[in-house]
Amino acid sequence: MSEKAEKRVNGKMGAPLGWIRQHWGELAVVVGLILFPYIFGLLSGTSVSQGATKFWQGQLIVMFIMAVYAMSYDLLLGYTGILSFGHAAFFGGGAYAMALFLTHVAPKVTDSYRIMVGSINIADLLMLLAGFLLAVLVAVLLGLLFSAVSSRVKGAYFAMITLAMGQAIHILSKATDFVDWTGADEGLHGVPVPIWLNPTQFRLRFYFIALAFMLIMYLITRRIVNSPTGRVFVAIRENESRVRMIGYNPAVYRSIAFVTAAVIAGLAGGLYALWTMSATPSMTSSALTINALIMGILGGIGTLIGPMLGAVLREFLGHFFYQWFGARWPLVFGVLFILLVLFLPYGIVGTWRLRRLELRQGWQRFLRLFKPEKE
Amino acid sequence: MKIKAFWRENNTLLSVALILLALSIFGLFSMGLEPFVRTTLSGFTLSALYFMVAAGLTLVFGLMDVLNFSQGSMLMIGAYAGWQFYTNPTFLFGLAPLVFALMAGLTMMAVLHPLVSKWRIPEQWQSRLRALLLVLAVVIGVLAVAGVDFRGLASTAMVATMVAGNPLAEATLQEPLASFWIRPLLLFLSGALIALAQARPGDSTVVVYKDQSRRSGMIVAGLLALVIVATLVRESGPLAVLTTNGNLRFVLALIVGTLVGAGLGAVIETTLISPLYVRPLYQVIITMGLAFVISELIQLLWDPLPYAMSRPPAFSQPGKAENIWAFFQGGNTTVDILGVTFPSYRLFIIALGVLMFVGLTLVLKYTRLGMIIRAGVQDREMVEALGINVKRVFTLVFALGTGLAALGGIGAAPFVPVEPVMGDRYLMQGFITVVIGGMGSTTGAAVGALLLGLARAFGDYLALKFSLSPAISEASTVIIMAIVLLARPAGLLGRRE
Repeated sequence: MSEKAEKRVNGKMGAPLGWIRQHWGELAVVVGLILFPYIFGLLSGTSVSQGATKFWQGQLIVMFIMAVYAMSYDLLLGYTGILSFGHAAFFGGGAYAMALFLTHVAPKVTDSYRIMVGSINIADLLMLLAGFLLAVLVAVLLGLLFSAVSSRVKGAYFAMITLAMGQAIHILSKATDFVDWTGADEGLHGVPVPIWLNPTQFRLRFYFIALAFMLIMYLITRRIVNSPTGRVFVAIRENESRVRMIGYNPAVYRSIAFVTAAVIAGLAGGLYALWTMSATPSMTSSALTINALIMGILGGIGTLIGPMLGAVLREFLGHFFYQWFGARWPLVFGVLFILLVLFLPYGIVGTWRLRRLELRQGWQRFLRLFKPEKE
Repeated sequence: MKIKAFWRENNTLLSVALILLALSIFGLFSMGLEPFVRTTLSGFTLSALYFMVAAGLTLVFGLMDVLNFSQGSMLMIGAYAGWQFYTNPTFLFGLAPLVFALMAGLTMMAVLHPLVSKWRIPEQWQSRLRALLLVLAVVIGVLAVAGVDFRGLASTAMVATMVAGNPLAEATLQEPLASFWIRPLLLFLSGALIALAQARPGDSTVVVYKDQSRRSGMIVAGLLALVIVATLVRESGPLAVLTTNGNLRFVLALIVGTLVGAGLGAVIETTLISPLYVRPLYQVIITMGLAFVISELIQLLWDPLPYAMSRPPAFSQPGKAENIWAFFQGGNTTVDILGVTFPSYRLFIIALGVLMFVGLTLVLKYTRLGMIIRAGVQDREMVEALGINVKRVFTLVFALGTGLAALGGIGAAPFVPVEPVMGDRYLMQGFITVVIGGMGSTTGAAVGALLLGLARAFGDYLALKFSLSPAISEASTVIIMAIVLLARPAGLLGRRE
């Protein structure tokens, strides 16, 4: 870790070229993602906003949102060592907050008021921002509620209580009492998303928004993880009693981690509600929590980039699994998950970091086979 | 003085009883006798179900610090297995030879152990040989089950329920014995190869117990005999079961469901849980993943639909029994209790729950296994140091816990819908039960189940009164959990940290 920090300092002192050289891998990924729709369009011979290109843009949008969701879970499980099984409640809470606000409140405001900047009506935009704010608020409240109930317990006990509470939220989202608001079992469909953000009409625009959302969230989370607070999170994971001994209150820091993760997941949920233009009980179900776990374990928990990679892989493979195995394709992932936990517990990125040197040596040995011997 | 000491020792239980008494007097006067008795009895029914889930959870957690997130799924598996057995056991009879064959193969390990550890294999080839054996075992296993129509087998009971009243309406055609016999054989081979790989051929550093190998040899022989019998009765068995008396069939279904649950529990403990004792967090994660897999698997086999299992004849004669004695003679659907017409089957569930609690308490108090469990809950290392095979006790207790949950499942099947969300639902209620009662205490689980069941029943009553849906009362049981957690984080009867 310290090596990395040193590198960053060096990079800042050097010319921008040096900075680019040090981060070329990350930059290449970002540039590749920005150019993806155009390159894919060129290769497949379709226009940017049609056919296969449009379809894969949609797939990538889901990947981006799920990557943020998996990352927020990693903040809990990988960094703070909290095992929470109610994470879908935050994602679904954000999605429902956004969908309910846009369906039931926003139209009334935009119908009766106009907020002009110059000659443009920005009421739509303001309502959207208000929706995100509401999603954050709901996530914060849910996070505080969860951590208030479970502040005095930890480990498996914590998992149990969060599961029960997440399940309660799921039951409420399905309850027939609020059918006029939430649509009960069916969920809320046809959310009136602002026209300029309609994911079917302006998919490319939505693609860039989702990409920017993921990048910003990644940078923020990385900043949190590398901050002094983030260090306390890791310390709690490693040895809680020692953290208490040093003078930090683990309960407070656990709550901070919890609320932060809840906010990030809630934002992801809000964006997901915009993308699907709906909010359904499946967004609060325990299956979604398990998806976060699967993505995390697949990519490697405690690495931040791992769960994002896991989310991408899961969505990508899921697309093909659906074609091969039919409607019950998550079963394949479930079995894969159990095998991963047993045999590859550090995931792809974690294992790569552990075995990097060995693998590189092996690769060089492999290359040497083809090189002519030096005289 | 005596009263004071008694109060100090049992203050939690006594205060809970006092609160319940006060609430029930209040309820009796505000609700009237008839609804009160009905709601209380429904509450007891739910309590019995919750106890069946929670008992296994609390036992396993107390002894081995493992929280089994697939406990609800075990209840669901019990329900599905029992329902299949009762309605049309073709599925279970079709699978039995395959499962027994694989088990027989895997049990070969202790038999092979003394033989193969003497083999002279160079060290670098040992691990390669193991990998090769495992790959071979997987290939043979896949070959063995390739082409078995699992979904077709599973759908037999669904068809049977549609042809009203006659479960024998369609005797499904099965694969002829001439081509089926190879499958158990291949599976036995596959299991034996895995056992061979696990026995680490050539590794002379492993300690080998000769007496264990002899006992395992007998188990293998017994299992092989079972395989042959199961293969032969594959087609005649279901018919024989279906033509027996309905009550007997139900009792058999209870036993089969429990055995399936317990067997599955033993398999889970040995394959998934025990390698992970060094990584406790992953134990929890893997049981959660298992719950997911089981729910998906059940949806694959039986589609995501709710099914209704018919009640055994002892509880389904039309009409109302005047009192309990009349019910025993007539086997009526409903019984008159204090002027309330109550479904007789629910009384059976209450009796089952009470029986289970009493049985569990007796086992814990008066048997050797119970003694070991109680000692293990107190101090696991000490028990290990005294020369008790803790590993085997762990497997046994885990199987006991899942078996109890499965028994609850098949008991519940005739009056709740058998559906894939059962697992999640009862897991949540089981967790709330153990949180209220306190981890590691069977009495605590009983008290928690009693409180939660009554709360659910009266919550449903209130929800109906205020024209709300029962979902609200289900979700608000979390509030009870929160209150107990804030007041006593270790639960009502749990150990304090």
